[in-house]
Amino acid sequence: MSTTGTDSTSDSDADAAAHEQSDETTNAEGGTITAGSRRLPAWFVRYRVPIGLLVLVLLLRPVVGLPFMLGIESVAPAILIMMLFVAAFNLLFGYTGLLSFGHAMFFGFGMYASAIAMSGHGAAPELPFFVGAVIGIAIAALVGYLLGRLTVGKGEIYFAFLTLAAAQAVFFISTRDPYGLTGGSNGISQGAQPTWIESFRGQLRITLIEWPESLLSTFGWLDDWYLLVGVVFLGAMLVLWQIVRSPFGRTLVAIRENEALARAMGVNTARYKVWAFTFSGGFSALAGVLMSVNNHGASQAWLSITTSGDTVLMAVLGGIHYFFGAIMGAFVWEFASGYLTDFGVLNLGIVSFDLSRELSHWQFLLGALFVVVVVVSPTDGLWGYLRSLATRLGKHVPVSNDE
Amino acid sequence: MSTLQFSRRTRELVSNTSSAWLAFGVVLVVALVAGFVARPELFVTQAVGGLVYGAILILITLGLSLILGLMGVVNFAHGALFMLGAYVSYSVVAVWGLPFWAALVIAPLLVGLVGVFIEATVLRRLYDAEPIVGLLATYGLTLMIEETILYYWGATPLGYAKPVILQNSVSLGVTRVSSFRLFMLGVATLVVIAVYLLITRTDFGLTVRAGVQDGEMTEFVGVNLPIRFTAMFFLGTAIAALAGVLQAAEYGMNSSMGQTFLILSFVVVVVGGVGSLFGSVVSGVVIGEATYLGPLVLVGIAEYTNIAAISVTGIRGLIPYLVMLFVLLVRPRGLFGEEGLLE
Repeated sequence: MSTTGTDSTSDSDADAAAHEQSDETTNAEGGTITAGSRRLPAWFVRYRVPIGLLVLVLLLRPVVGLPFMLGIESVAPAILIMMLFVAAFNLLFGYTGLLSFGHAMFFGFGMYASAIAMSGHGAAPELPFFVGAVIGIAIAALVGYLLGRLTVGKGEIYFAFLTLAAAQAVFFISTRDPYGLTGGSNGISQGAQPTWIESFRGQLRITLIEWPESLLSTFGWLDDWYLLVGVVFLGAMLVLWQIVRSPFGRTLVAIRENEALARAMGVNTARYKVWAFTFSGGFSALAGVLMSVNNHGASQAWLSITTSGDTVLMAVLGGIHYFFGAIMGAFVWEFASGYLTDFGVLNLGIVSFDLSRELSHWQFLLGALFVVVVVVSPTDGLWGYLRSLATRLGKHVPVSNDE
Repeated sequence: MSTLQFSRRTRELVSNTSSAWLAFGVVLVVALVAGFVARPELFVTQAVGGLVYGAILILITLGLSLILGLMGVVNFAHGALFMLGAYVSYSVVAVWGLPFWAALVIAPLLVGLVGVFIEATVLRRLYDAEPIVGLLATYGLTLMIEETILYYWGATPLGYAKPVILQNSVSLGVTRVSSFRLFMLGVATLVVIAVYLLITRTDFGLTVRAGVQDGEMTEFVGVNLPIRFTAMFFLGTAIAALAGVLQAAEYGMNSSMGQTFLILSFVVVVVGGVGSLFGSVVSGVVIGEATYLGPLVLVGIAEYTNIAAISVTGIRGLIPYLVMLFVLLVRPRGLFGEEGLLE
């Protein structure tokens, strides 16, 4: 793989510098960038992921609230949380190449730890919110590490089976409700919210600081729950992005592409896989913590195999080789879920079809779309398709994988 | 083999086994004896029940193991097809009014046709890709099939009456077993034997095995491999549907049976060793017996050692996973797994 950039790392950011040198460069992944009459500034290309994330956080809620979209703004925090969850999953699947069918258990660890700590459910003492959150993330990371140590060396299919079985075991334990901790199949709903959150007309509000009347109009908007979720989402995604850009992340990609070659080069592939699993579990638990606040508690449905499977679906649908693929997949899924279930009647002018019963089984359509994506191009997904469209339409968009 | 040779081989086996395994074997025997002594009649009942449950597991897993071992395809849709077989049998018996024996034939046939359709349209394109792509594609198909079932038959649990001839129970001396469960045991045995004979003694099985090992060469020799792969997928799907019909008649059906039994099938396949049909049979029996005898053994040990905490209530659901964990720790490829398959 050749590069004409100034860096020796196989990083597509190198081509940004090379942009200024020649009209046509080949980036590390072999795609060709032709600078047309308009050229994107190098800093924009280099930081397009953080810029894209910021734009996403700023625009998601207004766009989702548009009448021809979902029409309700209050689902926006949940969509951001799912995007974070799928991105954490994609760190393991898209970048390392390990398919985990049990990621719901990591999400559940964060969710339940936060809910248990806040409510003092069963045998647990009441703990502050951050302690509960940290405990949840720590448990998820620890389970990810231990499970990784056990399972990463055994091959992809075995890994998928074993994570599936592990998640089912966790689901089963949560149903058995040991020491009254998990609340069985009812989950935890009483008193599971932090004291600095209150519900106001269905929207969540942060009540950390009591603004005096004079400052309310200028600083009152800071009390938005969506804002907090957006900030946490942005921070976590930037950390994930940096992980992916770092030598660690690049090694993961090398392991995904050709593990035997990576080992021949001296990379301890098992260790990298285990740590990828650990990070992935930790970030999933962070998403779970946010969701437990968003949903006023922990429900057992989030631990089921359906959640794990939906995560796989969202990641593959979006495009596993792309950082934004996870985000797009989560958005498409959540949007379809909200939009199609409320669809109702399709009015074609002369005839109208009452599709509400059919579309309540919208998962069939997304399953079909998923099968088509897997058969046609499993690694590119919808985001990859959009990228290739954009390349053909505007020739200065750099084409590279893993961005 | 003469008696002298047999005892010599046994002695060789015992002397060659490591001491850790011998110790484990001794502990296992002691535990089983403890369980037996604690509740003798219950032990025998549970042992027989475990055998029957193991046979059911074997039948359910056989389709998955066949497709996995013989074609290298992870059929995630196995659970959904199992469920489809159950629901189709409900339509045949409860809606169309045909006898149960007709459902035993019609449901596997219809679901097998669905399997052929799946194989021809989706899976055939994925044989050259990595196994994980096949897993993903069949997962998407699972979603589609399960939603179709929900759409057509609804979400409420359904059931129908077993045929009158199989509704009572049979006495086996110390215990009584429902005759339908004995019927399931019989069907499972017949199917396992038939599949074994098909794979090892017929030309068809020989060519399929050759095709899995070296597809290109097999086709050069003049074997029509795509047809054979389709036929194998049909067989695996039909067996899954047959298991679904039996399960539906005995236990009824609900919208989550696909997932539950899919995971159990995966556990059985992993414990037995991916790619080994004999391994699936052995692990089915082992997991079945462990599920039924495990709680009893724990009760026995708890009474013997007076530590009440050992007999954990409700551990029965966790036992398959514990067995899998144990087997994978000591034999990472499963009991009879082959090297290099899906690794």
